[in-house]
Amino acid sequence: MTEEKIKNLLQKADKAAPAQTPVCSSLTAAVRRRAGRRRFVNIAAPVATAAALLIIFGAWRLAARTTQTKQHQNKIASLQAEIKELHARTDAALKLIQEVLENQRQQRRLDELQTQLAAIPDPLEEIRKQVDKTAFILVYQADRMYRELNQKDSAIRAYNRVMELFPQTQSAKVAEQRLSQIQNNPPNIKELKI
Amino acid sequence: MAETSEKTPDNPANINIINDKLLVKQFNRGDDSAFDRIVEENSAEIAAFANQLLGWPGDVDDIIQDIFFAAFLGLKKFRCDCSIKTWLFTITINKCRTYRHKQMLRLKLLLKTAGQIPLASNRAADKTMTDKETFNRVRRAVKALPPKYREPVVLKYLQELPADKIVKILGISKNALQVRLNRARQRLKKDLAELIED
Repeated sequence: MTEEKIKNLLQKADKAAPAQTPVCSSLTAAVRRRAGRRRFVNIAAPVATAAALLIIFGAWRLAARTTQTKQHQNKIASLQAEIKELHARTDAALKLIQEVLENQRQQRRLDELQTQLAAIPDPLEEIRKQVDKTAFILVYQADRMYRELNQKDSAIRAYNRVMELFPQTQSAKVAEQRLSQIQNNPPNIKELKI
Repeated sequence: MAETSEKTPDNPANINIINDKLLVKQFNRGDDSAFDRIVEENSAEIAAFANQLLGWPGDVDDIIQDIFFAAFLGLKKFRCDCSIKTWLFTITINKCRTYRHKQMLRLKLLLKTAGQIPLASNRAADKTMTDKETFNRVRRAVKALPPKYREPVVLKYLQELPADKIVKILGISKNALQVRLNRARQRLKKDLAELIED
């Protein structure tokens, strides 16, 4: 019963309510316009976002590239300086090596020359040897003249000649001994030895 | 789900469903006239329903546009599990809830800035009030109901929809519907005691 009363009361109140404005005749058109706007926003928003992101990314890349270029330039400059320094060091090392090699070469050459010089006989010594030899031969011939040919005078002259021409030699002393032996007592020639 | 009872008994439920399916197919093919027909057939009823749900403000153009815009966007995905009208009623309820919620927030903000506390409406019975004032009071009482009680009341007593359709629109069980209606009646009875006794 109460439900019926409530229902009646509500329906009466609904009917007595202020007149509702009629539904707009262009409702479908308005809805379509709104849907079109929504569609446009749905398409345009991601495109705009993508474009904005692209621009931001591009700007960032550009900035990064500029920074990178500067960094690269600095790095290249420092590397070039390092290379220059290394070149200078290498040149100095090469120069030092060349100097050392030149010294070694000169040292070798010097050693060779010294060896060669050492191999060359002393001419004075040679002359002295020749003088000794000549004096010896003269003494030997005088000995033979006195002993084998019995030519005493010729032998004395030969001994005197040796003493006169080669006074500093051993043969001159021998010649002097022979002469003193001949003059004091004729010696047994066969016992004489040079 | 088969439509067992429509508000217009002249059209059998199955014919309505077939008709709705054809309209959806037409719309999906890109035929704009299908949407025009849907609006034409349902706009008045939906406008009245929205008007009742929102407490008879009179001007419901904006909310109607919102409702049909949502329908326009969702029609391609509509699976015809129920009639288009039922579906539109569900959209209307959701949109009205959102609309009222926004209004409440706006009102709260306004009161906060004004530094005023809303005064409770004087619901004392006035024997000398005119019919106009009486119906105003009834409408205010309905408007004052919480949405979960107001919606079943409007659907049941003003739209006169059968229970199975109401439960479908609200997405609740029959028992829940009965409970809500009972509580709503109790509240109305309490608020409008003198009028009901008379």
